[in-house]
This record gives sequence, structure tokens and C-alpha cells, in this order.
Amino acid sequence: MATQPKILVFSTEKISDPAIDLAGLLKKHYPASVYTISVPCSSCIKPRWIMRAYEKGFDGVFIAADGTDCSYGESCGEKTSQIVMNTQKLMREKGLQPSQLKMAAICSVCAEPFVKHMQSFVKDLEKIIETHANS
Amino acid sequence: MSADYDVLIIGAGIAGEESALKLADMGFKVLLVEKEPSIGGKMILLSKVFPTLDCAACITTPKVSETARHPNITLFTLTEPESIIKEVDNTFSITLKKRPRYVVEQDCTGCQECETVCPSVVHDQFQMNLVARKAVYIPFNIANPRIALIDIDNCMLCGACEQKCPSNAIDFTQKEQIISVKVKSVIVATGFKLFDPIHIERYGYGKYKNVITSMQMERQLAPTRPFNNILRPSDGKVPDKIAYVFCTGSRDHTIGNPICSQVCCMYSIKQSQLLMGALPMADISMYYINIRAFGKGFNEFYMQAKDMGANFVKGKIASISEKENGNLILRYENIETGEVSESEHDLVVLSVGLLANSSVTKAFKNKILKTDEINYVKQTNLLQSPAITSIEGVFAAGTATAPMDIPDTIMSAGAAAAEVSGYLNQLS
Amino acid sequence: MKKKIGVYVCHCGGNISDYVDIEKVKEAVKEEADVYLVKNTLFACSDSSQKEIEHDIQESELDAIVVASCSPKLHVPTFRGVAQRAGLNPYNYVQANIREQSSWAHSDNPVGATEKAIQLVKAAIAKARESEALTPVKIPAVNVAAVIGGGIGGLRSAISLAEMGTEVYLIEKESKIGGHIAQWDKLFTSNDKGSDIINSLYSQILKHTNIKIFTNAEVIEKTGSIGNFNIKVKIDKEILPLHVGAVIVNTGFESYQPLQSEYGYNVLENVITLPDFKNLIEKSDKELIHNGKIIKKVAYIYCVGSRQDDEGENKYCSRYCCTAAIHVAIEAKQKYRNIINFHYNRGIRTYGKQELLYEESCKNGDIYIQFNLENKPQIEVVKGKTLIKVKDILTAGKEITAEVDLIVLVTGMISRKDDTLINTLKIPVGRDNFYNEIHMKLRPVETVIDGVFIAGTCQSPKNILETLNSSQAAAAKANSVLTKGEMTLEPTLAQINPASCILCENCRNACPFDAIMTVNYEDRQVAKVNVSNCKGCGMCTPVCPTDAIDLAGFTNPQIEGMIDALVN
Repeated sequence: MATQPKILVFSTEKISDPAIDLAGLLKKHYPASVYTISVPCSSCIKPRWIMRAYEKGFDGVFIAADGTDCSYGESCGEKTSQIVMNTQKLMREKGLQPSQLKMAAICSVCAEPFVKHMQSFVKDLEKIIETHANS
Repeated sequence: MSADYDVLIIGAGIAGEESALKLADMGFKVLLVEKEPSIGGKMILLSKVFPTLDCAACITTPKVSETARHPNITLFTLTEPESIIKEVDNTFSITLKKRPRYVVEQDCTGCQECETVCPSVVHDQFQMNLVARKAVYIPFNIANPRIALIDIDNCMLCGACEQKCPSNAIDFTQKEQIISVKVKSVIVATGFKLFDPIHIERYGYGKYKNVITSMQMERQLAPTRPFNNILRPSDGKVPDKIAYVFCTGSRDHTIGNPICSQVCCMYSIKQSQLLMGALPMADISMYYINIRAFGKGFNEFYMQAKDMGANFVKGKIASISEKENGNLILRYENIETGEVSESEHDLVVLSVGLLANSSVTKAFKNKILKTDEINYVKQTNLLQSPAITSIEGVFAAGTATAPMDIPDTIMSAGAAAAEVSGYLNQLS
Repeated sequence: MKKKIGVYVCHCGGNISDYVDIEKVKEAVKEEADVYLVKNTLFACSDSSQKEIEHDIQESELDAIVVASCSPKLHVPTFRGVAQRAGLNPYNYVQANIREQSSWAHSDNPVGATEKAIQLVKAAIAKARESEALTPVKIPAVNVAAVIGGGIGGLRSAISLAEMGTEVYLIEKESKIGGHIAQWDKLFTSNDKGSDIINSLYSQILKHTNIKIFTNAEVIEKTGSIGNFNIKVKIDKEILPLHVGAVIVNTGFESYQPLQSEYGYNVLENVITLPDFKNLIEKSDKELIHNGKIIKKVAYIYCVGSRQDDEGENKYCSRYCCTAAIHVAIEAKQKYRNIINFHYNRGIRTYGKQELLYEESCKNGDIYIQFNLENKPQIEVVKGKTLIKVKDILTAGKEITAEVDLIVLVTGMISRKDDTLINTLKIPVGRDNFYNEIHMKLRPVETVIDGVFIAGTCQSPKNILETLNSSQAAAAKANSVLTKGEMTLEPTLAQINPASCILCENCRNACPFDAIMTVNYEDRQVAKVNVSNCKGCGMCTPVCPTDAIDLAGFTNPQIEGMIDALVN
């Protein structure tokens, strides 16, 4: 098999980071081609960062959003969705599939859901890469 | 009322440290004394801790460093109180005995050169006697302070270390020091003693090599472990059929400890999970009376161990005997079947209980520090102010009052700090 | 740009080095631009390693450091401290998480783990290269705390705070303080009476002029941050604003209410809960009478609402109920000598000294019958007689049928159903629905919300002793933070470049904390961040049409440098 799709995860210091750490602590494995950059809150992610990731060679970007757990307020989820929509517009312009950007709320103990998200995202990306290669 | 320190804290395990840090953060001047050569108590020697499986050393070391570095905390190691006298002005006159280290603390760099030349080899008590150390030694890798000391009882006085030391830190002329201080209050945080299973002859500890204590297993699982694997003592074989004997030295009138030790069930379950990770092929049997998985996340952790494959057998071990190959035969009544059974294991771990460590009571000269019927420091106002003892101005924290786990210890130490702060405010 | 970066790769005593090839990591990053030195260490967090790093910073005049070790959650403060002591700005420190997110997460794949660790360290170096020296913001803090909940825990927290010199607002939802304990008679293990304890604590409260009690009161809003919270308290119909430095939540528990017909509850008149039984004993005189019938044989069914199977939500053990039930049974036996107690349990958990009560009950002749979830006790009424049938584990699974007069369901503690506070204070909740601490061992009374502390049974089931300890620990922690009169805030705040600002108001609309103000800049008005309100969430940054806003510590060069390094 070719190298696994590379995924960049934006996670948040207080909510989703602990979940990703917990996945490690519990030795719940996910592909090693998943990399994390932490930010304070998922609603601070700039579309240009996400675009930069694709430009430099990431196949997918996953936003591990705070959802309703966000300590900075309830508007976080809505704002993060807006960022995703704005970015997907930019992605279409560059010929990227909107499904290469995913967002899901990951609570601070969501180790299992995080691992499942990564496993299914890798599969989705493999398909996208394959279709792309065949087209 | 003048004093050298606001509070004397006896014992620098996690309880003493927590109380010290809280009070120091509030601005009080703390004198922290520890009888061992380094601080961090028993927790710093543990592997991972239940129910979160985070590494004990990783949690302890930042607190240990913070304690050692805090500007409001003065720390003496190898030091014990000799006498504590309450004066009429409510201060305490303290006489401390500081044992000689035979190494100048500020000069030792912890390079361990001395260890390479020392000819005297003895059991390493910090590795629970699983391996050896030299007579001049650093207690363990992550010890704080990480400096050498000489175990003078086992030293041949050959002087090899003195010649080898690059910073000339060895000093055989050091004498025991008597230090007198005045303090306004005292916290007793002297922790617990582990039960020595030599007192239960039918388990064969000390006679059969492959019967070990849970603390010995803890060291084998710790990041600073003596071997890079789990080995049984008789022949260094990796064990594949391990038995845990719960309640060794707890809930047992014959050895004078009728109470439950509160942590053994959970640490045994934790060790079983770590062993199943380290030795995936090993069978692990847990011989228990009742499983006390009562705290936050504990019952879930117990169920997890069951799901991972640990074999829980409800039954008290009657006796253990040894086969020629070093394997052990456990004889027990299986409560669920009602039958007396025997089973063979190649390693037996005794889940030893906690006992009160009441030696400090002797230091209180003119007032009595009361203890309860099982020798723990008596909490005289249990359901209102748990840290209060029989002497006004003397408080207790952590396992000095009863067996308890790490979170409960930290909270009890916080409670003692609150009491001391309140007490000191009312004095002034 | 930082020119001299020191990189330290930690073995974590095997936790990392068992899976990640440390030498390979060192080799791979030593040629990175601006890396001045790379070292490995058994435990980066140990005192000796910390001293070594301090020494290197000074000796080699490093202007940034990277430690590749465990989760930053554990040791960022440790290594920021190292930097500070060595005279380096602490914000020039970056931690790479190669344990939780590499060696442990990929322990099945050491090659992949090593590769990932290399990239993570390179990203951390990239971030360190772009790091800026930041100065923490100091703001005044009020030495005042709100204690929510006037049960035994809340009273204890309030008294301790007052004794330490912190002013207290004690806020109780009900019309009276005292909580559950005020209604209970004798308590384990001292046999003190609940009402006596509450009266004693209340009289101590009255001695402190710096405690104000509000009853019928609820916290309905919280804004601000540690040291300076503004909370609104609804008292009857009035709203009272209060300015406090910290909040201790001590709201306690609810007793589990058995489901309709769970063990015959609400169907059979002689099935009651443990709290009901406690009251019954207190009210009955010479004979134990329930519904006009004299009670001789009492069956206690344990773990009702606790340690549930897949059908139930409560997987946890409720901690206090085994001892509470046994304590009541002993009391019943003392008061009415010919009572017979049958304990239908799932393994008695009288931990610690509470074991002595279990022993006493056994000596009293109480009968212990143990069941498991697959064979719960079956209750049937035959000709007016209540029968309990169960397979007893303690007698090799023998089926035992007993006739009893009263069935006491030993109900556990559950979290408060009212989730107003969760929404108002934003306290995280664990899988068991109780409030969650930030770290069970390092910070057991703190939450992820700075300045909001939890204590007592709102955190997890506890007995009274444990509730008191945690309540005082929370008080000690709150006081140690507030007593200095000033707070030091993280300087990772938003910053607006006035030259690019077009004052479009997007950032002001995005900010949840009212931290955007307008100032004059040259000949026009621009937006500016009010540092005392800014929490550093960064919500304002992606909405700026001219990309004029950056979050300190998460600037474009830092994040983009990390992205580049990760794919490099």
C-alpha cells in the first residue's frame, strides 16, 4: 500500500487535546500520519492555515471542535462551522474536494470517537486520492 | 509571639508536600522535614496510578521540584523531630535530629562516580531489595535532591569514594546535628508503613523466592524499574501464570490490622492491567474477598480489567507451598463453587496492606498526640474538622490518619493547610 | 526570529524511548535551522534535568527551547519555570507531545511513531523560532469567594475561607441551609447527629462577620474571569450582582430514585429507600413500625441505581452506601433488639476503617447474601407474605428464599438533575454525570475554568469525611490564589495591527467577552483589544477581512511554520 494519507488535526487546548492525549494514554491506536496542532479554541482557526496545509501536502484537515463544551462560550460551534464553510469555498476554487475538510465535536473524554473519526477519515481520503489518481 | 517558622511539616511525601505548597503559596514560612534522603514519599516510587493510568513519577516530580524550589519552604532531609514541646505562649519548641549524609549537599553534582568505585554491595531498599546498590549511592534516578549519601553501616571506610569524587564532596567527619527551632504550628504527614508479609508464615514470603510483595511488583513495572522486563526472582524467568493474594495484612485480626487498607484492591487491579499489557500471554488470577472499587472511575476500571481477561476468583488463600521448579501451589476455598481447590502459579504477588506509622507520637513530650485503636493519628473532630488532632495547633494530613488513595491524600493535605492557615490567622 | 534553539528529547524512562527511537529523532532535528544543541534526557522533568537546561540556557545563551516529552498539559508550567529561572522569557519555550500523541498512540508502530515524533519536534522548533517574548498581565483580584451550596460541604468551605481571611457569599437554593445532613440522625463513623453537626457549623458561620448567607438564591449568570468574576444571584424575584474572585461549587448530590416497580418500588407498600428507612428509624419509638405493621425482618438490597448493567446509565459505585446501610442496620439492631437484618449485596465495600462496622454487623448476627447482576433478587408476594429469592454466591450459588417484613433499597448518589449551573458556570461533566476536576491527583478541586472550584459530592459520591476534606482543600486553593490581591493572566491574547484595521466591527461582534474597544490611530478610529477582558480564545482572528488580528503564541508565522515543518 502506498503511504497513508496525511491528516492535520486542529485541536483545542482544553477540550479536544485531552481526548487525543487520552487516546494515547489508553493506547487506542490510530494512524501515525495524523498530526495535531493545538489552538485555544476551534473558532480561532484561520482558513488560510487550512489552505496552507493542503498546499504543503496534507491530504485532509480535521477540526476537533469544542462543540458545546467550549469554555469560551456557546457560539463556538456555530463560528467554527462558518470557518469550515468559508474554507470549503476556497477549496472548491483550488479543485479540492470539500470532504477533505472535516469537523466534529470532540469532548475532553472522547478518545474512542476521535480514534474512529481518524480511522474513517483515512479511509475516505484514500478513496478520494484513488479517484483523483484514476481521473 | 515570635517563631522561626509558621509551620513545621513532618514528612515530605505527597501529603506533606501538598500542605507545604498550599501554605507557602499563601505566604507562610514552612519548615518541611523528611527522614529519608530524598522527598516524594512512596508515590514517587510507583509505576502508574489507578484509575487513569498516568505515570506516578510524571505527576510527582513537578510537585517535588516545586517543593524543593519554593522560596517559602525550607527543606531538611534525613531529619526527624526528636522532641516537640508546646510552650505557654502556644509556640512549639522543636528539636530536630539530622543524620549525617557524609556528603556535602551543595558540592555533590550527582555524577555517580563514587558508586563506580565503592566496593560494598548491599540490597537496594528503594528497589525493594530486588537489586543491589553500593554503600555510597544516590537513592534512585529521579530522587530529589539527586545527591549521594553514604550508608555508614555498610561502609568499609576504604576512602575510595573520597578519592574518586571530582568535586571533593565526601566528608567522613560529618556528625549528627541537633537543630532547635520554634514554630507556631505543626502538621503530621508521616504517611504509612507497608505490611511485612513475613508475619504470615503460611504464605511463605521470605522462604519461597517467587512470592513477592505488590511493592516489589510495582518497582518492576515502574519507569525507573530495575530490569527491563518482569522477572521472577528464583531463576529470572518471565512469569506466565501470576497470582495476586488480596488482603495480605488487611482485614486480619491475627496480625492486628482489622481494617481494610483501601488501596490494595485497586493497585492490584492496576498491576493486572499493566501486566496484561507487558506480558500479553500471561494468565493473571486475582484471589479476593471483596473488590473495593469504590472511588471515581474505580468500578469502571475494575470492569475494564475483567474485560481485558484478568481472572477474578473469590476465595481466601489458606496456604502456599513451593514445588521443586520454584512454582507455587495455592490452596484456597473457591467461594463461588464452595470447593477447596489448588492451583499452580509461577509467581505470587502478595497485595500487602497499609499500617499506621505512629513513631512520631513519641516526639510529643508535654502533650499527648492521641491515636486511635489501630494507631492512626486520632481525628478528634472527624465530622467537622478532620485535620484537627488532640493537640491544639497540631494537625494531621494524609495517611497519618487512615489508609487512603492519592486523590484523598491530596484533599486531606489541602484541608490541613486550610486549618493551619485559619489557626495562624486567629493567633495573630 | 530566534537564532539559538536548544532541543531536549525525553525518554520518559521508557514511556517514550520504548517505542520512539530517540537517537533517530536527535539525528533528524540537529541540522534544522537555528538549532544550537540537541540532547536526550531520561526524565526531562527531573530536577537535575531542569538544572541542566537552565545551565545550557545561560551558558550557551539560548534564545528559545523545545522539550519533546509528554503532553503540554503536564509540564508547560514546569519548563516555563526553567526558562524563567535561567533568564529566558517563558514564552520562548515550546513543548512537543511525543508521548501521548506519538509513543503511546502508536505503540503498535514504532517506525511510524519515530517518524511522527521527528515531525512533531521539527514543528515545535518552527514554533519556537517564531516565538516572541511575552509578559504576563497583572490584574487586581478580589479576595472574595462565592460558595454555592449550603450543605455540610458548602458550610465547611465557607468557614475555612472566612478563617483564612477570604470574604464569603454562601448561596443556597433552598430556604434553609444544612442540605441532606441536617435531616439525618446518627452518622458513621463517629455516631454524631447530623443536626448537631449542622448546628455547630452554623454557629461558627455566625461568628464570622465576613460570611453572608443568601437562601432561596441561585446563581444565574457568570462573566469575567478568575480574580474578577461578576455573578448574578437571583434571590426570590430580585437579582443581586456580586463581584467575586473565585467560585466554589459544592452543590451536593441527589438520592437515586428507584424506577417504578424496580424491586417492587411504588408497587409494594413495604419497599422503601435507604433515606426513607433512616427517617423511619428516627421517628419510630420502642418498636419499628411501618404502615402500621411491626417490622422484625429487614432486607437491604444493595447497589440500587449503582454499578448498573448495560440497561442502566450509572456504571459507577456510589461509595458511601455499603457503609451507610450497614451503619443503619447496626442502629436498627441496637434500637430494636429482635430485628433481623438480611443484606443482599454485591460484595461489601466498607473500605478503610469502615470495615469495623461491617465486622460489628457480622458479630450482631446480620445475614449477608451476595448476588450478581445476572441473578438479581426476585421479590414476590405469596398470601400476603413478602418473599425474596436469590442465588447466593457465598453458599456456592444455593437458592435462598427468605420472608421479610420490609425491603430497604440501598440507593446511591446521583448527580443533580438541575443543569442550570453547568450552563451558567461551564463546568465540564464526566461520564458519570458528576462535575469533573481538571486532574484527579494533581488538581483534584480545580476545573478547566480557572477560578471555578468543585468540592464535595457534586464531583463524585463521597462520605462526610471526604466531603469535608475536599471542601477545605478547595477553600485552601481558592484562598492561596486570591490572598495576594493580584492575579497574573496568561499573555496569549489577541492583538490587532492598527495599520490594517478598517474598523468593520466583525471582531467586536465575534468576541464573547466584550474585549474589543475603539481607539484613535493616526487620523482614524481602529479596533483595539482590551487586555483585561480578552481571554485569548481567538474567535476574533478568522473573521477579520484584512487579517489584521493575531493571537499571541498562535500567529500566522508560528502556525504556518508548524504546518510546513510537519509535511517537510
